Amino acid sequence: MDAPSEQFMSRLQVHAHRRSADFELDVDFDIDGGILVLFGPSGAGKTSTLNAIAGLHPLDDGRIVADGTVYYDRAQGINLPARQRRLGYVFQNYALFPHLTVLQNIAFGLGRHRDRFEHARQWLSQMHMKEFVDRYPHELSGGQQQRVALARALAHRPRVLLLDEPFAALDRVLRERLQAELRQLQKDLSLVVVYVTHSLDDAFAVGDRIAVLQEGRVLQQGPLDDVFQRPQSEQVAEILGIRNLFRADIVGTNLDWLGLTLQAEVTERDSGNVAVYIQPSEVKIIYPEAPVAEGLLGNLFDAEIITRQRHAAGWSVRVRLSNEQMIEIHHATTAYSKLDLSTGTTIRVALRREALQILRRGDPAS
Amino acid sequence: MIDPLWLSLKVTAVAAILIFTIGTALALWLVRHQPRGRTVIETLIMLPLVLPPSVVGYYLLIVLGQQGPIVGWLGIQTLFSPAAAIIAATVVGLPLMVQAARAALASVDPALEQAARTLGCNEAMVLWRVSLPLARRGLLAGLVLGTTRALGEFGATLMVAGNIPGQTQTLPLAIYDAVQTNQHDLTTQMVLLMTGLGFVSLWAVRRWEPSVGRAK
Repeated sequence: MDAPSEQFMSRLQVHAHRRSADFELDVDFDIDGGILVLFGPSGAGKTSTLNAIAGLHPLDDGRIVADGTVYYDRAQGINLPARQRRLGYVFQNYALFPHLTVLQNIAFGLGRHRDRFEHARQWLSQMHMKEFVDRYPHELSGGQQQRVALARALAHRPRVLLLDEPFAALDRVLRERLQAELRQLQKDLSLVVVYVTHSLDDAFAVGDRIAVLQEGRVLQQGPLDDVFQRPQSEQVAEILGIRNLFRADIVGTNLDWLGLTLQAEVTERDSGNVAVYIQPSEVKIIYPEAPVAEGLLGNLFDAEIITRQRHAAGWSVRVRLSNEQMIEIHHATTAYSKLDLSTGTTIRVALRREALQILRRGDPAS
Repeated sequence: MIDPLWLSLKVTAVAAILIFTIGTALALWLVRHQPRGRTVIETLIMLPLVLPPSVVGYYLLIVLGQQGPIVGWLGIQTLFSPAAAIIAATVVGLPLMVQAARAALASVDPALEQAARTLGCNEAMVLWRVSLPLARRGLLAGLVLGTTRALGEFGATLMVAGNIPGQTQTLPLAIYDAVQTNQHDLTTQMVLLMTGLGFVSLWAVRRWEPSVGRAK
């Protein structure tokens, strides 16, 4: 077996195929350092993919290489057992050993070294969990359990870290803190992280790259922003939960959205009925007194505010357009803005031509 | 009363070890490998619970007898020796152990065993460090129930080990003898002793039961 190579940049290549009675997993992706988010609805094969990488599920074809170490290669007949893959796996619900203390949990993977408890203590203090060494997992809160699970997975110094919906059960404040800690750990330890989630916020908060999964297949992968800006297909946009997705008819070089005419970047390949979306943050609200910026001149419409919700960075507003359709707007408040956003108010919104994305099925946008 | 009690304790102690190891191994095999025809195998293991002791004793006579495999292949004579009493006790105690151990091992969260594997454990270590410790209450309950049943074994023991004082006469057999020979005081003592032991073991199991196999 190859020894782990001494590259600085960690790299993980995954091609895994597994067919069972009711499910076929066939994923293919790779990642050079950083955090890859595996995103998809439940049953998309996210956890199966992690288990394939970890060696916990048998595969029937493929090749998995981490940092020059071949984990699995059907052609070469290599299948490293899970215990020899030296990766960190944070399971959904943490899977802490209930019969062991926090310290024993973290030292669990450190073999019989004399200084294993010393090492585990260092991890605990790095995780700000020093005072919990002798507690049992059931005596900890969810966030504390999560930190212990993370420390346990990292204690044996893996290069690859797998996380299965790690922060799903935590409240927002805690989630944000742990997301930041994870990003820091990834940098400090130059880890390759594969992060499974079905939450958009999670994906945005931690991801460098994203692979969108459905029914055991990767529909699209790439840098997070690219995938969000340019979902390859309606399916991807839908899975990503992109709001303001609607269907419109191509009329000449414009779109007809149930009676509302929109200027858009229509190409000659587009025809008939197409799926269109605009990101909530791309819908601009026009200030009544201020002059309208040049870029916002097209596609100006009146809209009535139906609901609004305050966020840390501003407002999330749902408005109804004259064609009776609803769109969502994320409006960032600035120091200058004085805007009446109470429900029932009519405002003027701009659906910028450049921001309207026409989704083309099975046709990779470049 | 001392002789049969002492013999009973020795026989039961050895049977307890056998019940625990064989029972746990069988339960593990059933849980982990889900062998084909599992239901049939499980039913066969449970059968001594419902069969008349004379039927179990008769089967044991065949297995341990002169034409049986133990003598034929291994050349070991066991009939009418303490060894036969141990075997009879083990066979009747085993079902209770297997039943409890199977439930306890099946209730261990597989994710914990998976976690242990990713942390460098081979299968033996997974078993030793995770599965068995987490199933310990259920295993213990099974051991106590099985051992108590073994201690009270009468019918099959009588058939394969006989009723030889100082040799194979265990406590239950001694009670039978005492009743036959009208030794009322001795009978009462031994009966109360057996009842007490049974009570204590069931009480102990009841105390463990709410959390059988469940992670504490």
